[in-house]
Amino acid sequence: MSKPFRIAVVLATALMILGPVGLVIYQSFLSGPFFQPSSTLTTQAYEFVLFEEDDFREAFLNSAIIAAGMTAIAVPLGCIVAFLLVRTDLPGRRFIEPLVLVPMFISSVVLAFGFVVALGPVGIVSVWAKGIVGFIPWYLYSKTALIVIAGLTHVPHVFLYASSALRSLGSDVEEAARSSGAGPMRVALTVSLPMIMPSILYATVLVFFLGFELFGLPLVLGDPERILVLATYLYKLTNKLGTPSYDLMAVVVVAIIFVTLPLVYTQRKLLAAANRYVAVKGKATAQKPLAIGAWRWPAAALIVAWLGFTVVIPVSALVLRSFLSTWGEGVAIWPNLTLNHFRELMEYPNLVRGIVNTLLIASVGGALSVGFYALVNLALHRWRSRWTGLMDYLVLVPRAMPGLIAGLAMFWVFLFTPVLQPLRQTLFSLWLAYTLVWLAYGMRLVSASLLQIGPELEEAGRVVGARPAQVSRDVTLPLIKAGLIGSWVLIFVTFVREYSTGVYLLSPGTEVIGSLLVSLWGTGAVDLVTALSTVNLALILVGLALMYALGNKRHA
Amino acid sequence: MPKLAIEDLYLRYGSVEVLKGIDARFEEGSVVCLLGRSGSGKTTLLRSIAGLEEPCRGAIRIDGKPVYDAGQGVNLPPERRDLGFVFQSYALWPHKTVFENVAYGLRLRGRTKAEIGAKVQATLDGVGLGQLADRYPSQLSGGQQQRVAIARALVYEPPVILLDEPLSNLDAKLREEARIWIRALIKRRGITAVFVTHDQAEALAIADQVVLLDGGRLVQSGTPEDLYERPETLFASEFMGTNNTLSVSVAERRDGRALVDLGGHRLWGVDRAGASAGTGRAKGVIRIEAVRLADGAGENRLPAEYETSIYLGNQFEHLFRCGDQTVRLLSDRRAVPGRHWLECPPDRLWVF
Repeated sequence: MSKPFRIAVVLATALMILGPVGLVIYQSFLSGPFFQPSSTLTTQAYEFVLFEEDDFREAFLNSAIIAAGMTAIAVPLGCIVAFLLVRTDLPGRRFIEPLVLVPMFISSVVLAFGFVVALGPVGIVSVWAKGIVGFIPWYLYSKTALIVIAGLTHVPHVFLYASSALRSLGSDVEEAARSSGAGPMRVALTVSLPMIMPSILYATVLVFFLGFELFGLPLVLGDPERILVLATYLYKLTNKLGTPSYDLMAVVVVAIIFVTLPLVYTQRKLLAAANRYVAVKGKATAQKPLAIGAWRWPAAALIVAWLGFTVVIPVSALVLRSFLSTWGEGVAIWPNLTLNHFRELMEYPNLVRGIVNTLLIASVGGALSVGFYALVNLALHRWRSRWTGLMDYLVLVPRAMPGLIAGLAMFWVFLFTPVLQPLRQTLFSLWLAYTLVWLAYGMRLVSASLLQIGPELEEAGRVVGARPAQVSRDVTLPLIKAGLIGSWVLIFVTFVREYSTGVYLLSPGTEVIGSLLVSLWGTGAVDLVTALSTVNLALILVGLALMYALGNKRHA
Repeated sequence: MPKLAIEDLYLRYGSVEVLKGIDARFEEGSVVCLLGRSGSGKTTLLRSIAGLEEPCRGAIRIDGKPVYDAGQGVNLPPERRDLGFVFQSYALWPHKTVFENVAYGLRLRGRTKAEIGAKVQATLDGVGLGQLADRYPSQLSGGQQQRVAIARALVYEPPVILLDEPLSNLDAKLREEARIWIRALIKRRGITAVFVTHDQAEALAIADQVVLLDGGRLVQSGTPEDLYERPETLFASEFMGTNNTLSVSVAERRDGRALVDLGGHRLWGVDRAGASAGTGRAKGVIRIEAVRLADGAGENRLPAEYETSIYLGNQFEHLFRCGDQTVRLLSDRRAVPGRHWLECPPDRLWVF
């Protein structure tokens, strides 16, 4: 690729990233909506939100508590699960391992519905438990329950990093400790775990950061008791004062980014440190699993119990509920089985459009996004320049923006920019927001395949006489084709699962399942919500099947 | 006019200077070896010639025309230098067949289909792979892949071909065969070849001209015989061959000869240090094959205690102790323990 072209791509990407953020920051210093000429520059919105608004302070505090609490649950559990599955002779670990990642692929708002349907005050499991012990021994809508559920659903994130670090650790370092006289337990505590500490630290910051971004779970589980977190506070703020208060929303967004951006930056530093650590690993020879004897069974039971609680119970309750005409205490399951909710679904044109749009944006849109990520990656590929360093930092910005915020910012951009206005109510606005939100993730997916191409394969193209663009076309792209298809499948699943980005962009023509679910839940249409969630799960299942068929073993 | 000229070339990675002023001329049709340890800058020099690295000072000319000239601001991209390059890893494109790998350079040059077919086939035949055109690189052995890489670099008839340690991934037996056929192939085509290697035996076997590099500087350039038999520096003498390096003190320098003292024994050697050097501590270097077991005391002989031997198959390598220094030598006879006399011919002992 020629240099001007590379710079053009970087500048376009920078505009796409900084435009929405810049608009939000600008709005946060205005007295009214940015499109009203009467708005003046002021800091009054900051003064109000930061010093006078009790709800904001409470939401901020809740976010911090929930993020800390779920980190305290997810990190140890994730490490234990990773150690058991990667390093020990746990029965059935080959079968369990792929299942551990399933919570990552399910939209958290869908999971939250599942918990309500299963464990809520009139949930399927609750009613069953009440029938046995006479009362329901838990209360789903408490802060504690929210923390526990958030913690348990984020175990896969920790597992992912801990397990890959454990896998790259050669058994030789452990065997060396064994032959110096350390027992298995001591080996784990003094050799294996310290060696993967940088990865654990990284996962810890990641989970804490995701805790601050939490939207789906607190929206559904926190609402009955009015437990607000930052994202749900922002969402409620839209309607709190009757008219949308742009300035206040902008301030909340800036506040959230102020918390998340340093966390993302820390993650970046930690990841670099973790990778450096891996470089001094032992020789990664065939690993010999550690025999843990009789502990195998309770250990396996722990993992199965976790999977049962976080995936099997909510998902099966949700799917079951979508086939039940009604549910409550004393309602029998068999006589009430029905397909009516799905038929009903088909009668609402906006819901049908939502399903079609979801498929479109995930398949066609996903392919276009991967194409875009590939283009940016190729523009930066093997380019020793300050521009690439700039991009490294730029992609941190969308990572720090939760989908809800990116969607809001994109919505404003489409309101603000005259040339874009006609496109606001088309799928293009939604696609752009999705592409932006998942920019860092998609870039990493594509760059993973680019990294596997030895530089000399491209240099060989140059010396035999190919211009840079010809090398990209004839050598680089054909070599990453398989990687791009794999990335597309992962992006497909990601886009099907996405629910928060489309919330503010929801309008006739831009409905997707995720944003429809959020708005339908507010109306209390449980039948439609469960049916639509089941459709969403089915689509994700299609994506996972595709992934399995492609033998794609790369994740997040 | 030299085919390829490198003039006062400097290259840095950040603050590290990799090439520190290289000057070299390569004649048309010659096989040149860039020889040196890892980190000597030999591969960087080769990649600079190809345009894969960007120097910061100096010039590189092919047929007198600059492909890089810092003074004139010329820096042609690799694709416009029209060179052949054989990578250490071969860098065959795994998604193209052998035929397509070789044909790519011709396609880029807009040749007709018929011409491409004929040329590729002829080049593959030339490297003995005419039958394997439809295979993919992963279906070939290492030696076959190397031949494809060479065919790919030769097919469009570049005036200069660059080879970056092309033999290092082959096993010992194949490597010796490859030396011979590569040299024959290059000579037959009459092109100029620049070859990077860290293996001095390979350099001596394959090259018309050896360029010895160390720490980004050119140490010595000449025929293989020049480098082996007339090293100009201590580094060059120690780098080539297997040597005894002895700590001596110089008693006298006269007419290109030097009289040295080694543990009270006087030896005459060739003075390599030049006129400016005085007397005192110095290094004496003698190749192990130059030291001979003598039957008694005499001129340029010193007594030594037998220490141990290594059996090499075709001969023995003996280790002797002479004061606090060890002397190794080759012999086809076993040696018995005890005191022996070793002869160091005065024209083979170099004093630096």
